Amino acid sequence: MLLAGALTSGAQTLNRKIDLPKDSPVTLVSDAWGDSGATIRGGAYVLDLHVALTLRNSGQRRIRGITLTVLTQEMTPGGKGSISVPSLDIPPGETFPVRGDLHLLRPVGAGAPQVEVALDGVLFDDLSFYGPDKLHSQRSMTVWELEARRDRRYFKTLIEQAGREGLQNEMLASLARQADRPQYGVQLVRGRSTNADPEHDVQFAFLHFPEGPVDPVDGLARIAGNEARAPRVEVRNRSDRAIRYLEIGWIVRDQQGREFLAASVPADLSLPAHGSSQVLQDAALRFQQPTSIQAMTGFVSSVEYADGSYWIPSRSALSDPTLRRVAAPSPEEQRLVQIYRKKGLDAVIEELKKF
Amino acid sequence: MTRHISESELALYSTGDLSLGNRAMARLHLSQCERCRARVEAYLSDRKQLRDVAAGMPEGVNWNRLAAEMTANIRVGLAAGECVAPRTRKAAFQGWRPAAAVAGLAVLLVTGWWLNMPRGETQALGRVARVLMRGHGGIAFEEQGPTVEATASGIELRENGGSMGVSEGSAQPVAVSLSVQGSARAHYVDADTGQVTITSVYVQ
Repeated sequence: MLLAGALTSGAQTLNRKIDLPKDSPVTLVSDAWGDSGATIRGGAYVLDLHVALTLRNSGQRRIRGITLTVLTQEMTPGGKGSISVPSLDIPPGETFPVRGDLHLLRPVGAGAPQVEVALDGVLFDDLSFYGPDKLHSQRSMTVWELEARRDRRYFKTLIEQAGREGLQNEMLASLARQADRPQYGVQLVRGRSTNADPEHDVQFAFLHFPEGPVDPVDGLARIAGNEARAPRVEVRNRSDRAIRYLEIGWIVRDQQGREFLAASVPADLSLPAHGSSQVLQDAALRFQQPTSIQAMTGFVSSVEYADGSYWIPSRSALSDPTLRRVAAPSPEEQRLVQIYRKKGLDAVIEELKKF
Repeated sequence: MTRHISESELALYSTGDLSLGNRAMARLHLSQCERCRARVEAYLSDRKQLRDVAAGMPEGVNWNRLAAEMTANIRVGLAAGECVAPRTRKAAFQGWRPAAAVAGLAVLLVTGWWLNMPRGETQALGRVARVLMRGHGGIAFEEQGPTVEATASGIELRENGGSMGVSEGSAQPVAVSLSVQGSARAHYVDADTGQVTITSVYVQ
């Protein structure tokens, strides 16, 4: 019976729907779903989605980024996903592709397997935004766009100061960092974790950016074996403006001295100018065995002011050796490095001239 | 003259089977009664003759053949007794057959566990067993339901410790990350155009 249960599965027909608002700045040109399908596993459908859309910019402004919601069941954990494409430069009337591969769940009791793709938001070149923003994609896409502008500015300055050779060296260094960047499996555990090991507190060490508006002053997390939970960080606003959101990067060092970026700790808060507050999350991270957490480092990776403007770390702040080793490059740097790898240095320089 | 002794008592007296008191009374009577004494002597004489007849083999009887027939009859009787006697039950775990059956069942159970039970559940059971053996430590129970894991292959959906599949395209992600608010992200870069696609899965 156990063996039979393990082997039982069946492919199901997948109902698909693409829903774009009538006043949407993008319109659907075509859609393809490849070998998307659904299978029953336990009490849920597992939907394997491979969607490829072609959209047209039907608005009047250049599009810098887009996020689509992919929904199989609104209220079910694992029933919601998204596909975002940052670092775009799509003029009005032009078409562009959006592709994504997702694994999502839908309870069998919720009816036949179906998926709905909807627009969550579009970011324009003037940083204005269109869309329901249910996934807070405006915040994410704005940060990506600001990072893209920062990095393009940095590479342009590099060409001016160090010429083609300087840009080439930077591209090669970025390629090497991406290849060497450690990436270990980290699982998010909701609620309390199952761990029999004795717990102890580990204090955060912090990377401080001189130009940053927020200073993390104290913090700790509960550690038990290969699990870390309930991070708590006290932050102080050094700026003259109120802050409503920030994200802290969480770097972990294990018993072998390996460091990696474990997670980000976002927080919606009300942090007045020059005030203090506490970032607290009731979640746990479980690291692949046999990781044993020895130390933790935190850094503020982005800040949203109450007036809707943002702060992100500068390139010089990101030159910290630990951050350069463990933090992923911005989507724009990933794009430019791939262009360099595929088409060469001239293609990168031409790309930079477009902005 | 007293009354004569009955025939049955005379017969018993002749074989020495009369009770002690009656025997003394009979002996006293026999010393005085010629008729009863003659009956006793007749009984003793018959007994002696019977013994002599019983001690000799009948004519025409082959003793060796008779002994062989008797031995054969005894063996046939013993065999017949085996057939109709209740069967004696063997011990439950004697012999190789029960051991093989138990081993087969164990293999089936272990295989079934390995195929069906999520690795996390097995690990959790292992932790609980370690705590019970150590006699100290605490056990907290995690919330059930799907969760996400950021792996080098992409975003992996997990439920009850078991994998429900990985969101993966034709290429490996260039970066994966977790948000403790309940989502995982994977960055993919198109090899030809460099276009970056960021997929996210939410569990809260």
